[in-house]
Amino acid sequence: MDATTILQGLLTGLLMAGIYALVAIGLTLIFGVVRIVNFAQGEFVMLGMYSTYWLWKLWGIDPYLSLLITMPLLFCFGVLVQRFLFRPILHAPDMAQIFMTVGISVILMNAALFFFTADFRTVKTAYSEWTLRLAGVALPVPRLFAFLGALVLAGLLTLFLSKTDLGKALRAVAQDREVSMLLGINPDRMYLLAVGLGAALSGAAGGLIVPFFYVFPTVGVIFVLIAFVVVILGTLGSIEGALLASLIVGVAESLGILFAGADLGLVVVFAILVATLVFKPSGLRGQA
Amino acid sequence: MTDEMLLEVRDLAKRFGGVQAVVGLSFHVSRGEILGVIGPNGSGKTTTFNLITGFYRPDQGRVRFAGQDITGLRPYEVCARGICRTFQVAKPFRELTVFRNVLMGTLLRHPNPAAASARAEEVLRMVGLEGRAHTEAGSLTTIDQRRLEVARALGTEPRLLLLDETMAGLTHTEVGEAIRLIAGLRHRGLTVVVVEHVMRAVMSLSDRIVVLDQGTKIAEGNPKDISSSPRVIQAYLGAEYRHA
Amino acid sequence: MEGKRVKAALSPETYLPTAILLFLVVLPHLMPNPFYVHILVMMAIFVVLGQAWNIIGGYGGQLSLGHAAFFGTGAYVSTLLVNAYGISPWFTLWLGGLSALVLSLPIGIICFRLQGPYFTIATIGLAEALRLLVLHFREITNGAQGLTVPFKGNAPWLLQFDSKFPYYYIALVMAVVTVLITRRMERSRLGHYLVAIGQNQDAAEALGIDSARAKMQALALSAFVTGVAGVFYAQYTYVIHPDSAFGLGLSIQIALVAIVGGVGTILGPALGAVIMECFIQSTQIIFAGQYPGLELMVYGALLVAVILWRPRGVFPWFARLYGRVVARLPAVGAAQA
Repeated sequence: MDATTILQGLLTGLLMAGIYALVAIGLTLIFGVVRIVNFAQGEFVMLGMYSTYWLWKLWGIDPYLSLLITMPLLFCFGVLVQRFLFRPILHAPDMAQIFMTVGISVILMNAALFFFTADFRTVKTAYSEWTLRLAGVALPVPRLFAFLGALVLAGLLTLFLSKTDLGKALRAVAQDREVSMLLGINPDRMYLLAVGLGAALSGAAGGLIVPFFYVFPTVGVIFVLIAFVVVILGTLGSIEGALLASLIVGVAESLGILFAGADLGLVVVFAILVATLVFKPSGLRGQA
Repeated sequence: MTDEMLLEVRDLAKRFGGVQAVVGLSFHVSRGEILGVIGPNGSGKTTTFNLITGFYRPDQGRVRFAGQDITGLRPYEVCARGICRTFQVAKPFRELTVFRNVLMGTLLRHPNPAAASARAEEVLRMVGLEGRAHTEAGSLTTIDQRRLEVARALGTEPRLLLLDETMAGLTHTEVGEAIRLIAGLRHRGLTVVVVEHVMRAVMSLSDRIVVLDQGTKIAEGNPKDISSSPRVIQAYLGAEYRHA
Repeated sequence: MEGKRVKAALSPETYLPTAILLFLVVLPHLMPNPFYVHILVMMAIFVVLGQAWNIIGGYGGQLSLGHAAFFGTGAYVSTLLVNAYGISPWFTLWLGGLSALVLSLPIGIICFRLQGPYFTIATIGLAEALRLLVLHFREITNGAQGLTVPFKGNAPWLLQFDSKFPYYYIALVMAVVTVLITRRMERSRLGHYLVAIGQNQDAAEALGIDSARAKMQALALSAFVTGVAGVFYAQYTYVIHPDSAFGLGLSIQIALVAIVGGVGTILGPALGAVIMECFIQSTQIIFAGQYPGLELMVYGALLVAVILWRPRGVFPWFARLYGRVVARLPAVGAAQA
C-alpha cells in the first residue's frame, strides 16, 4: 500500500463526498424545516438517476444537461409528496411519520422495479472514460464533474438560504415555526419549498453520478443509509454540518474500501455512526 | 451539614448559552419543615428544582441529600433516593387513567403490581381523587390535575417533596384546599419545598422562606420578616419602588 | 330476588380463546395439503416475529427497522453450530436467541440514552452491516450461497421432520408462548413503565423510572425471541442466505405485521401476521410472480394507507368485533335461580 494508492483513495472519497453532501443536505433540509425523518430520500436519488437515464436513452440528452429537466421534475414530485403524504402526518407521532416515509420508499423502489425491471443500467457519454492525471493519481472526469456539480449546487443553495428573502423565510420556519408565522410567513408554503428543494437536490445528486454509477431500483438504499450517517454526524438540520460530515464519511468510506475490502465500505460508515452516537450524538454542530 | 439538614445546596451554578440562570446559590432544607421559595419570574426557581432532581447538571456546586452527595445523579436515581418533584407545567400521562398514573409512582417501592395497586388506592384517598380513579388524566380539571401531580409524587414515598407552582391558576377556594392538602403532608413526616407565586399560600404554609433573584439567594427568614423586607420588595417591584 | 343468576361456569371470555386454540391445533388436519400447512407455519413464524417486535416497537415506542439483524444472527449462529459441532438445534434455539440478545445490548446502551430517530437508523445500519460482514467472510459463512442444514430425514432430536405437521405445532407453540409472554410483560412493572415512558418520559423519570433500562429490557426480550424464531426458520427451510436473513425487506415486513395489526396490543401483531400472510399468498397467486415489484408496491401502499387512515392498526376494529361476538355467545353451565 503506497502513498499514491492512499492518495487515490483519499481523492476518490473526496469526490464522492460531494454527492453524499447533496443527498444529505436534502435530508437535513427536510428534517430542519418540516421535522420529518425522510427514509425515502434515497428514492429521490433513484428517481433522479432513472430520469437522467431515460432522457439520455430516449432522446440522447446529455446527463448534465438533463439536470435542467430532472431537477424541476423532482422538485414538483417533492411538492406533491409533501402536499399529499407528509402534510396529513405532520403532527402525528414519530412512528407514523417514519412508516409513512418507509412506505413511500417501498412503493417507489418497487414501482421502479415493476416499470423499469431490475436490470442494471448505465449511461455512456463521450467523456465517460476520460481521466485526468495528477501526480500519479487518476481522476475520472465524470467523478470530477459530479463533485463540481455538487459543489455548485450546494453553493447555490447556501446563497439562496442566506441572501434571498425566500431562503431566509425557510430558515426562519426551521428555527421557530410559530414566530415565523407571526412574521407573516406561511409555513405550509415553506414546507412545500423545503421538500421540493430536498427532492430536487437529491435527484440532482442521482443525475450527476449516472455517468459512473449503475442505475437500479434499490440503489437508493445505499444512499439513504450513508446520508443518515452524514446527517447525524453533521447534526440534524445543519447544512454546514452536512457538508463537513460528508467529507469525513466520503473519505472514510473510501479508505475503508482500500484497507478492508470493496464490500465493507458501508461497514466503515456504520462504524462512524456508532462512534458518533457514542461520543457526540448531537453531531459536529450540536451542543453537547 | 447538620443532622437536621435534609437537603443542602451549595454554590450551585448553571448557565444556558448567554444566560446565567443560577449562580452561587446556597440554601438548606431542614427535616420536617415546609420551605417556601419565592422570587420574580426568571429568578431561577424551576432551574433550581431541575438541578436538584437531576434534569440539569450543575456547572458548579453540590447538592447533598440526607448526608449523601447527589449532584449530577439522573432523575430516576434522585427519586429512588427519596426526592420527588412535580412540574410547573403539569405532565400527566394523559391517555392513562388517574389510577394508572399514580400506579406508575407506587411501582417504584412496590415492584409487584398488586401491592402497588393497593398503595395507589391509598394515595388517591390521601389527596381526595379516589372518585376520579378511572377518569382519563387528560380530561381532569386544573385543580384535579394538580392533585394528580402531587398524588403521583406521593406514590414514590419520598422524604422530600418539591412542589413547583402547584397553585398557579387556581381559584381562591381551590388555593385553600391545596394549602390544607400540603399542610397535611407535614403530618405524614414529609419535608416539603414549595415554589410559589401565590403569596397567601407561601406565607401561610412556610416555616421559612428563601427568596431568589437573578439566580441567587437574596434573603432568607420567616414569612413575617420576608414580607416586610425592603430588599425583597425591591426585587419584585424594581428599584423605583424602593421608597414606596 | 328475581332473575338471580348463578355465576356462569364458563363464560365466553374463557372458552372462546380455548376453542380458537383447539381449532388451530386441528386446522392442519382439515387442509393437509403441504402447501397450506406451509402457509400456516409461515403465519405462525410471523406471529412470533411481529409479537417480538411489538415489545420494543409497540410498548417500548422504539421503532426498529433492523430486526432482521436478530433474526439472521439466530439463524446463522445456530446453523454454524449445528454444522460444525453437531449440536442439537433444540439447544441452539436458546443459543441463537442468546446471541441475538447479546447483539442488542450495545445498540440499546448507545441509543436509549438519546431521544430522536437514532435507534431506528442504528438498527437499519446494524442489519446492513451484518449482512455485508456475513457476505464478506465467506470462508465461514459461505457468503452469498448461504448456509444449509444437512438433511437428515426424519430426525426429531435434530429438529428435522419429514412432514410439515410437527413444524407447524412447534411454530404454534412458539406463537402462543410469545402471546403469553407479551401478556405477562404488559401486566408487569416493565409493561407499565414502558407505557409511562411512551406517554411522557420526563414525568416517568421524575417518578423513579429508569427509562433507558426499561427500554433495554424490552429490546433484549424482543431480540431474544426474534433470534429463536430465526433458528426455527433455518431448521424449517434448511437454507439461509444473508440477503434474506438480514435483509431490509424482512425488517420492514416484521414491523409492518405489528403496525397493520395494532402496536402496543397483545394480539395486534398476531392479527397482522395472519392478514399479511393471506395478503402475500393471494397476491402471489393472482400475479403468479409475473410482475416483480407489483406485490411489494401494493404492500407499500397498504402501509401508507394504514398510516393515513388507521394508524392504530386493524386491532381496534377487530377488538370491537370480537367483543360483539362474545356478547352474543351464551355462557356455558349457567343456572338460573
